[in-house]
Amino acid sequence: MANKKNIVAEINPEIREALVEMGAVDAYKCYQCGKCASVCPWFQVGTYEFLVFRFPLETVLGLIASSEDKEELAKEVDKIYRCVGCEACVDQCPLGVKIPDILRSARRILVDFGSYPETLKSVVQKIRNVGNPLGEPRETRGDWAKELNVETYSADKELLYFPCCIPSYDDRISRVAKATSLILKHGGVSFGILGTRESCCGEAIRRAGAETVFNETAKANIQAFTEVGVKQILVSSPHCYVTFSKEYPELGGSFEPLHTTQYFWQLIENGKIRPNKSYEKKVVYHDPCTLGRQSGVYEEPRNILKSIPGLELLEVDDFSRNLSLCCGAGSGALWIDWPKGERMADIRIKQLVDTGAEVIAVACPYCLQMFEETVKAMNIDITVMDVCEILHESLSG
Amino acid sequence: MELIVCIKRVPQTAEAEVKIDDSGKDIVKDRLTFDMNEADSYALEEAILLKEKFGGAITAVSLGTAEAEDTLRIALAKGADNAIRIKAEEFGELDGYKTAMIIKEAIKDLKFDAIFTGCMATDDSYYQVGPVLAETLGVPHATLVSKIELTDKKVHVNRELEGGLIEHLEMSLPAVFAVQTGINEPRYASLIAIRRAAAKEIKVLGKDDIASEPKLNSTLEELFVPPVGKRAEFLTGTADEVSARTAEIIKEKGLI
Repeated sequence: MANKKNIVAEINPEIREALVEMGAVDAYKCYQCGKCASVCPWFQVGTYEFLVFRFPLETVLGLIASSEDKEELAKEVDKIYRCVGCEACVDQCPLGVKIPDILRSARRILVDFGSYPETLKSVVQKIRNVGNPLGEPRETRGDWAKELNVETYSADKELLYFPCCIPSYDDRISRVAKATSLILKHGGVSFGILGTRESCCGEAIRRAGAETVFNETAKANIQAFTEVGVKQILVSSPHCYVTFSKEYPELGGSFEPLHTTQYFWQLIENGKIRPNKSYEKKVVYHDPCTLGRQSGVYEEPRNILKSIPGLELLEVDDFSRNLSLCCGAGSGALWIDWPKGERMADIRIKQLVDTGAEVIAVACPYCLQMFEETVKAMNIDITVMDVCEILHESLSG
Repeated sequence: MELIVCIKRVPQTAEAEVKIDDSGKDIVKDRLTFDMNEADSYALEEAILLKEKFGGAITAVSLGTAEAEDTLRIALAKGADNAIRIKAEEFGELDGYKTAMIIKEAIKDLKFDAIFTGCMATDDSYYQVGPVLAETLGVPHATLVSKIELTDKKVHVNRELEGGLIEHLEMSLPAVFAVQTGINEPRYASLIAIRRAAAKEIKVLGKDDIASEPKLNSTLEELFVPPVGKRAEFLTGTADEVSARTAEIIKEKGLI
């Protein structure tokens, strides 16, 4: 019998208690209707068995990462790290069971015992060491802004712009930070950056289970925000948005973040900026999980794109808005390389390309990086851009 | 089989920005993460594999401060049965020789068929603990061990030499093996084993438990960053230009 293993499995109340203590309390809510399975990206991938609906029950029975066979356990740990935290399951669950939190509780225990993927260990080390997952020197964090003369934030400025790590250091993705700064300048907004005092927001490593380093990094940011008198934070990454709005308050840091798409739509509505240069292209918008499903920001990025003259906005039928398919980079997965044929980005790119678009518009540095790499690897001739980059091109002067 | 594994908790410096502290004899550690010394985790795995095959028990030993108990708990969760911490804070400055001698004093009354150490610790790279332990305990040893096969009372050991050579030795037990990284694939700890490990007792030994305090063989004078050499060449240009030049250099140097 295929399920024999589970029938004879030893139930471990101790594991259940440990997981619940680490935040898996939602496991008790699940009544196994299986709706989560209908939207979990792994079911669209189809080549890797990830039975998302089983995690709550396995938690209650204490079966998570319980194998004492070395090879089996390695597979179980790999599975625990397959969840990308897209929250498609949470969105569809009639009881709002947060399966990513259940898996995060297991990850927290595994991280404490050094039993998690080496690539993620390295990322956690680098964030603790130099404040970014790439291991780049802290001293060069603000270098992207030098050529644009972006100032360091001070309390007399309206806005703190927080680009976070990848837009600060990555050659390609830093073009998003540059476009953002140029739009702000165009709109006459007084803003500054933290530069070397900025540390990673920590969102990904928290989801990877590295709670201690997350707390430390988040507290360093909260201290920096407080000391320089930050009022409003503008973020490029919806991952920063989620952690600043939902998690930093738990650590005593209540700062209202705004995503660039929200803020720039406000600037357009208030007439501070006006996209007037024609952008004659078919553009399909990809909803990032953390901006759409997790933050409810669906309209602003679309409104920006629709306000650009000449731009034709396309949608992915059936897989748009809250049903958007994850790029596969969340919860630390950006740093884990899954085998070819098991990558969400490959499927998502195909969905986006099939709309007939010439440009894929995203609003998240992770999606941007994943899609840039994927179109190169798949040898597909399509442009991937952040909404801000397109907006910047459509502003004259 | 009675097996002993020596384990060290070390700062993870391989990919980190490392700074020297004000004493000039240590590094600044407050921005570093700590983990089991890499080679030691392979040594532990090798011991677990032998235990799985031949039965017996593993004792993990660490000379370290209280935090080293976290690392010993990882060893317990992965498959060690007992753990001993020797209080490093009571022994002042340590070199490879003194470390090995303290460990020897702590384990000399334990029965053992094999002792496993990592071939080196990534923080001080002395490569001494395994050989010194073996010599002072009067048993044979092998360093840079890349394979261990046990038949009856004989052990067949491969050692990894420079130039891609492998040395094959026959040894008898008891013996000390200083294990090279890559010899196996260290396992994860399961959640149930982690729970069990959390409840296990770690025996703590101090200076008073050691018959006589071993002496240093060397004292640390200074730690410094070597001056930057002039051999590095920075390539500039577009990605295509840089990669073309890189390919040329690789060809010029006969690397492919």
